[in-house]
Amino acid sequence: MAEQQPTVPSRRLVLGGSAAAALSGALVGFGAGRLDAPASAAAEPAQDPSDPADLSPYGAYQRGILEEPQTHGIFLGLDIQWPKAKDERRDRLRSLLRMLGEDAARLMSGDGVLADSEPEMASARGRLSITVGLSRDAAAQAKSTADLSMLEPLPEFSGDKLEPRFGQADLLVQFCGDDPTALAHALRAVRKNLTGLATVRFEQHGFTTPPGQAEHPHAFRNLFGQLDGIANPRTTAREGAVFGHGDEQSWLPGGTVLVLRRIRMDLERWDEVDRPGRDFALGRRQSDGSPLSGQHPDDPVDLSATTELGLPVIAGNAHVALAKPVQAAETMWRRGFSYTDGGESGLLFACFQRDARTAFVPVQRRLAASDAMNQWITHTGSGIYGILPGMSQEAQLGAALFAE
Amino acid sequence: MNKFSKTLPLLTAGLLTGSLLLSGCSTKSPEQASAPSAEQQDTTQAASLQINDPWAKAADKGMSAAFGTLRNTGQQPVELVKVTEEQHRSPVQLHEMTGSGTEMTMKEHQGPVEIKPGAEVELVPGGMHFMYMDLAKPLVASETSTLTLHFADGSSKAVDFPIRNYSGAKERYEDHAGMEDKHGNGEHGGH
Repeated sequence: MAEQQPTVPSRRLVLGGSAAAALSGALVGFGAGRLDAPASAAAEPAQDPSDPADLSPYGAYQRGILEEPQTHGIFLGLDIQWPKAKDERRDRLRSLLRMLGEDAARLMSGDGVLADSEPEMASARGRLSITVGLSRDAAAQAKSTADLSMLEPLPEFSGDKLEPRFGQADLLVQFCGDDPTALAHALRAVRKNLTGLATVRFEQHGFTTPPGQAEHPHAFRNLFGQLDGIANPRTTAREGAVFGHGDEQSWLPGGTVLVLRRIRMDLERWDEVDRPGRDFALGRRQSDGSPLSGQHPDDPVDLSATTELGLPVIAGNAHVALAKPVQAAETMWRRGFSYTDGGESGLLFACFQRDARTAFVPVQRRLAASDAMNQWITHTGSGIYGILPGMSQEAQLGAALFAE
Repeated sequence: MNKFSKTLPLLTAGLLTGSLLLSGCSTKSPEQASAPSAEQQDTTQAASLQINDPWAKAADKGMSAAFGTLRNTGQQPVELVKVTEEQHRSPVQLHEMTGSGTEMTMKEHQGPVEIKPGAEVELVPGGMHFMYMDLAKPLVASETSTLTLHFADGSSKAVDFPIRNYSGAKERYEDHAGMEDKHGNGEHGGH
């Protein structure tokens, strides 16, 4: 695992092997199955999910990607107001990213941004992370050598009911943190600084289980009541799925690809489904997330298991059967947040991967075609973003896009 | 580290305690301009001055302001005598606020600003600030404005001020009728 050192020494040093490290499991909700073998305690990441250590803004990768999700997440999508003169757009993108990086660094360090009238609100960080990405077209303004083909718009999937208001934006800023007040301040500060430079397309708020309160260190209960996320890749498998290796980097070395989907969940119709039907549709038990082919949450999803009558234990169109990666390149790291919004409930599905064309796209094609869960979910928003590499005190956010 | 012990004339006579000290001179005196230039010194005033968190307020035209904390890290007093800006082609003045509450107005600060060793001068909305008097080009948020600070020993320092949106700093401007004409309402520009 790459260095992801918090600025505050981790309490894990004191606690030693965490309870989290002792547990490993393989639950899945939405998305892909787990590929790596159960890790030993020694190989678990140094980050204890219940450890609220704050995050350094600097590193090879941006924050808010590899870390276990904070309690709250906000996805801010903006459309850039480009200068009329085309030859000024590259410089505008560079200065805009420099400002965003400086804002992120200050806020993640517990300081207000420049021109901040309420810097006191920044002092409680609560593992604040600010993560920035660009659409293909926005990234193209940099005229760099980045592989923009990885950011090509997603294909249409059957069943999509996409709304432009939740659609592709030029600029995506993900805010995550455990302290809603610090998060609100960070959001406001960044929005204020972008006034006149970009217009907001969406601001989508989500939440997950607070650290230390989850039933499982790597899963949360989504609003269907399912344990979601334990099949997610961990440690080096996560890092590899997100950022690639060696010759196989993402669109920019140190960068990754974020797919953000807004998935509405029909809780009223889900209410009509009894427990066996729910478990059958998912392929796991709602009670503890164990696969229907096993007894424990960390038992493997065995698609060849049959009943006494010779029928598959896990149906071919169960969610886990279709979401399970059929090859390593399909592995993605899901880092979603539930939402409730004016009586609507759902999931802000966010996944990071080296290349969505080999990960999210083929998996979603299978799911869209026949997932038993489809009758209760509707995809209403979609976007794909090139997440920039990390920054340092010497190299501004997005520096690699502007290397001469 | 600093052997620069008596190069400055005693312009500080009459200066008071506190972080911001104003000399009584309204313009640069000949001694001031020439005093340290020929003497051996290993630290200029420009090198002693550290600026923390500089920023300027975005504005399309007219007037705007720049802020930050000026800190003298040297062993000798630093005297800031002038500020210039080329990129947006605006004269820049040093302004201070007078009055209190909502009745505060600003006016040009007379004379150099002296900063004692180890002391700071804070340039903040509602307090002392650098004032762009007449912008020929807009100050665009996210870009920077380079202000050159000129010191009594003839040294100078170019400092990048990141430009940010800010809706405060609307202080009324006192007794510069000509500037009010340019700006209309006597407030700082900016959007």
